[in-house]
Amino acid sequence: MPARRSGTAPLKQVAMVFDLNKCMGCQTCSVGCKVLWTQEEGEDYQWWCSVNTMPGRGYPKDWEGMGGGARQDGRALAGRLPSRAEFGGGWQYNYEEVYTSKEHIPLRPIDGNGTTQWGPNWDEDEGGGRWPNSYFFYLPRLCNHCTRPVCLEACPRGAMYKRPKDGIVLRDEDECRGYRFCMEACPYKKIYFNLARQVSQQCILCFPRLERGVAPACARQCPGRLVFVGYVDDEDGPINQLVYRWRVALPLHPEYGTGPNIFYIPPLAPYRLNADGSLDESTPRIPMQELEQLFGPQVGRALATLKREIAKKRRGEASELMDTLIAYHWNELLGPWTRDPATIRWLRPEASSRGSARRAQPEGR
Amino acid sequence: MPARTRSTTNGGATEDRYRQRWRWDSVAWGSHCVDCYPSNCPHRVYVRDGKVVREEQAGTFPTIERDVPDMNPAGCQKGAMWSQMLYGQERVLYPLKRVGARGSGKWRRVSWNEALTDIADKLIDAIQEVGPESIIRIGEPAEGGTQALICGGAIVGRLGGITTDVQAEINDFSPGLYVTYGKFDPAASVDDWFHSELVLIWHCNPIYTNIPWYHFVAEARYNGGEVALIAPDYSPSALHADIFAPVRVGTDAALALGMCQFLIQEGLYHAGFVKEQTDLSLLVQLDNQRFLRAKDVDGGRDDQFYWFDTKTQRIVEAPRGTLALGNVDPALEGEFQATLADGSKVRVTPVFALLRKLLDRHYTPEKASKICGVHPDVMRRIARTAARKRTRILMGWNSGKYYHGDLMERSMALFLALTGNWGKKGTGARSWAVGMFEGMFSTLAKPKAGPEAARQVFEMQDQMMAVLKAEDPTMTDEIAVAEAGYRGARMGGMVPAVFFWYYHCGYRERWNKKEWNDPSMKRPFDDYIREGIERGWWEGFRTPDEKTPPQVIFEIGSNVLRRSRGGQDIMVRNLWPNLKLIVTMDWRMNTTGLYSDYILPTSQHYEKTNFCYTTPHVMNLTLSDRAVAPLGQAMSEWQITLALAKKIEQRAKARKFLEYQTRGMAIRLDNVYDTLTKDGALADDDRLMDEMVRDSAIAGVLPRGTNLETLRKKGFVRFINWGLSSMALAQASDLRSDEAHAPFRWHTEKKLPFPTLTRRAQFYIDHDWFLEAGEELPVHKETPKQGGDYPFVLTSGHPRWSIHSMNMTNRIILETHRGHPFMSMNPKDARARGIEDDEEVRVYNDVSSIQIAVKISALVRPGQLIIYNGWEPYQFRQWKGAENVEPGMVKWLHLAGGYGHLRYRGIHWQPVPIDRAIHLDVEKIRPKSKAKAAAKAGRRRQR
Repeated sequence: MPARRSGTAPLKQVAMVFDLNKCMGCQTCSVGCKVLWTQEEGEDYQWWCSVNTMPGRGYPKDWEGMGGGARQDGRALAGRLPSRAEFGGGWQYNYEEVYTSKEHIPLRPIDGNGTTQWGPNWDEDEGGGRWPNSYFFYLPRLCNHCTRPVCLEACPRGAMYKRPKDGIVLRDEDECRGYRFCMEACPYKKIYFNLARQVSQQCILCFPRLERGVAPACARQCPGRLVFVGYVDDEDGPINQLVYRWRVALPLHPEYGTGPNIFYIPPLAPYRLNADGSLDESTPRIPMQELEQLFGPQVGRALATLKREIAKKRRGEASELMDTLIAYHWNELLGPWTRDPATIRWLRPEASSRGSARRAQPEGR
Repeated sequence: MPARTRSTTNGGATEDRYRQRWRWDSVAWGSHCVDCYPSNCPHRVYVRDGKVVREEQAGTFPTIERDVPDMNPAGCQKGAMWSQMLYGQERVLYPLKRVGARGSGKWRRVSWNEALTDIADKLIDAIQEVGPESIIRIGEPAEGGTQALICGGAIVGRLGGITTDVQAEINDFSPGLYVTYGKFDPAASVDDWFHSELVLIWHCNPIYTNIPWYHFVAEARYNGGEVALIAPDYSPSALHADIFAPVRVGTDAALALGMCQFLIQEGLYHAGFVKEQTDLSLLVQLDNQRFLRAKDVDGGRDDQFYWFDTKTQRIVEAPRGTLALGNVDPALEGEFQATLADGSKVRVTPVFALLRKLLDRHYTPEKASKICGVHPDVMRRIARTAARKRTRILMGWNSGKYYHGDLMERSMALFLALTGNWGKKGTGARSWAVGMFEGMFSTLAKPKAGPEAARQVFEMQDQMMAVLKAEDPTMTDEIAVAEAGYRGARMGGMVPAVFFWYYHCGYRERWNKKEWNDPSMKRPFDDYIREGIERGWWEGFRTPDEKTPPQVIFEIGSNVLRRSRGGQDIMVRNLWPNLKLIVTMDWRMNTTGLYSDYILPTSQHYEKTNFCYTTPHVMNLTLSDRAVAPLGQAMSEWQITLALAKKIEQRAKARKFLEYQTRGMAIRLDNVYDTLTKDGALADDDRLMDEMVRDSAIAGVLPRGTNLETLRKKGFVRFINWGLSSMALAQASDLRSDEAHAPFRWHTEKKLPFPTLTRRAQFYIDHDWFLEAGEELPVHKETPKQGGDYPFVLTSGHPRWSIHSMNMTNRIILETHRGHPFMSMNPKDARARGIEDDEEVRVYNDVSSIQIAVKISALVRPGQLIIYNGWEPYQFRQWKGAENVEPGMVKWLHLAGGYGHLRYRGIHWQPVPIDRAIHLDVEKIRPKSKAKAAAKAGRRRQR
């Protein structure tokens, strides 16, 4: 699946690879994103980046069954609009009541329209299978900044656009009227509706950071060192190598047809156990059809490549793929965006809110 | 498809609005000094309009060792949201005084002056009426930074009060490692994990608890290493393992011993390593099961032991000053005859021969498999790999929380010994260690400020070492420092918590309950306590004794009611009524605070200059700077300390109570402030912190010229030397600037002895109590039915979402799970009881009962329940936290003393409470039929 380079396609496309064999489900990416981007009014329940345990119903609940995506001809398919309760979250708590409580009332979320029965990570570590052959893995998700973005296609206002310089899918919120056709169309259900401002919102791939040479928060803050970010078109970069050369990084639900630019290295798992407790080295612990449903028919091949290259290392041989995934130097993960944000000195006074006036320039670049 | 693109370069106003969100006025270094361990993750703190808006890992670690991944970007989700806890609703901003009954939620905001005056008066009352040892500081990792730690010592210690041993309070002890090595605390630097060719994740859940450093395990696997998880449940840390060995709860010793039997049986064990590093080559008398000692042979030392040299066919002394075998090739098997001083003859045999017999009899892989449930082939496979590969047991502090955790750890250490797996890169066991930051200890001990006084303190330390070594020239630095620890323990004011609990907190009755104890215990618990006291093993450590009622509890972020085994049920019922004053210092509302008389608001991270506890795991001194002023009336711990010091002086003078004696020390109250601040020189936080750094540079542990200013430039600095703290020297390896740290290399490379009785890694303990217990060698014993005869066992563990209880009540973190406490349960077990997901159930045993929601999880073993720790009791109904169902037993054998390294010194050998494998049952709060009937009845009434 080579990157599209039609006349309207962006000059370059930012992409990411999440190596699920390093992911801990720790939520540092989600929390880093949350603290940076979704703290304002109407954003309480929005987790642009979220990590779910698979198998699981995810966030919003049962998003995989909600439809949307692209038709053969590229037009958007309308799916179902997830309800506020299906997202859940955005909880407020009764702190004051607890701290002054003679009756020892417990700390609980104050229920707002059934939003406390689900949340961004409600089915954490539930998994599937039967002990001792239980199985699970973590799946971080954010906007896929698709090559064929159906959200953009579905927007009757023309409020959405794919930036030519980096392929990031954004929305002009001044143009958005909150019709939510984008939410219906997005098959990944990674668009949120801001009830306070009556506009839709989603991951912006930290473009303000990229513009200053700093990697997105979810990538730079990932303590598992599993998020590669870069231009997919950069043929020497790890993303291109992992996606096209080694073919170990796969899009999520490729059959949705939108051409996602977030890729995943599928999960390995410990050997299954036979009924007597001995190792069963022939049957995979995670059923292959579940992985194929998520990552498409290429997943078996990708896993075989990973196993082959790990085996090489175990025999004491070299493996370029393993060395790439180890990422001896953290900066190797961050593509061209290796700048330490603390080195940025914003010029004062701050740019006006319309931004067209004096834009702050970082020093020393 | 027509992809729309904007012609405007910057996408209009929306893009600019987002650009504005990612801006700041100033940046400071920050970290979270919370003793999450190993912590020390350098962050940058971004400030806008005088408020911290966010933080982000610095990502500025250099590569230490070539071809080993660097440590960037150390951090976790808690660190990534810490700023949100500055402004969260759980924050305490003003001194609060209780005005209703304790725990009744009635508070009055008071001034610092009013609070501190009352507290000072009550402290003086306690000293006058009962004595200073009635003032108790609950030993704590504190909030976890230098400031909180010194504050406890500076107030309670200065007055002659007592601090309960933190190791007992939090129970992060590794008792079996301690019994074996004379130290519990090997702590490789995290990057050394990368060197491992086999990682056994065992009694640890690093995917939850080591978020910043787990990547080294994943990367070791990509580098050709294998990973096995040994746990009862398919724990989150099974995720990136190759093998899952589902061990039955509490049977890990059997698993390890089964592998040991196989290694010996097949001749796969490393004989040379075993002979040199361990006591398995030492001779034991067959008649009385005691080591053959010089005292028996020629009236010599009680701690001189013997080998049988196969070269000369003679019994010879095993040197105490070195592990090197020299020309001797000690026998590991065979029976020999020794002549004692009185001319009598005894049969002797090496420990190894005894061990082999024991293993062959009880622990062949097949027999062990029947106990632990892991298939013999899996044991053999792991053992075979470990015998060939650099193997690390990645342990946490789970095993030590089992009743027989000592036996588990001794067995695990035996497995490492037989496979030659310590003292080289990528190998060994793991616990925790702090140290190196010499200034933290010495600066306040100096008579006055300045470098000269520091030099005097360090010279005195050197002299003390010289005196000890002159006494016994075979002592290494490590052994001398440990010995100083034993001897100085009685002066320190830190006491093992076991007597405090036994006399004052209501545990005595529980510990004597026969049915909750080990069935192999031959006498009642009281008997062992009495004997331990009579034999003088605990002399000087029983303060406050049975005649001294505790008067004051000083809580500095330890939240004792949250984490005490037995919960607030046992503490509030037994200890609380006698207390005249309970003070909680914290930046947030915790459950202990809610039951206190005063809550004093401390400043948060980012609001004060502070350092994280320093540890070989990371090897850096990490600065957490003051990015903003404290919110409300919060003050740093040091400033609270000094304000209270002034107040104590003022009240003491007014009450004409200026001097008293305690435990042989004279304490003056008219100069508290001056002695603490060195006549005012160190009154400022920055001055104090700067002095500690400079003193550390003088001590040679930090590069020359390091000070607070240089730290403000770089955020952290790597230590260059160990200094003289015991846990640092226990690492027993050179600290190198370009290499990851692997402990115990002095033992394997320089052949320096271990700080045990036998000077070797010791698997045979011939203490009469260990012989009475049948635990002279590591064996497997079943976990007693603590809590009663119930079908489920509760295993627990540290949570992913919180450091202790600190983050657990923050709304952002709450939203990363279900937002309320839950208990994980196997689907089949839930179904059998008709329990649905997220249904609240009653969990009970003979100790107590709690209510909690169930999370049905396929990862949990049938019969197992998991309630991860850290929930605040006030998140439960009636504020009854999970700890309420834990009886808080201690293993009687840990009261043994008077034997080489089995003596008390702070943070080391002592009884610690148990909270794993608690027996429980689960029931629906209302059976379905009844609930339906009740609902119907309700509807009828409504009509």
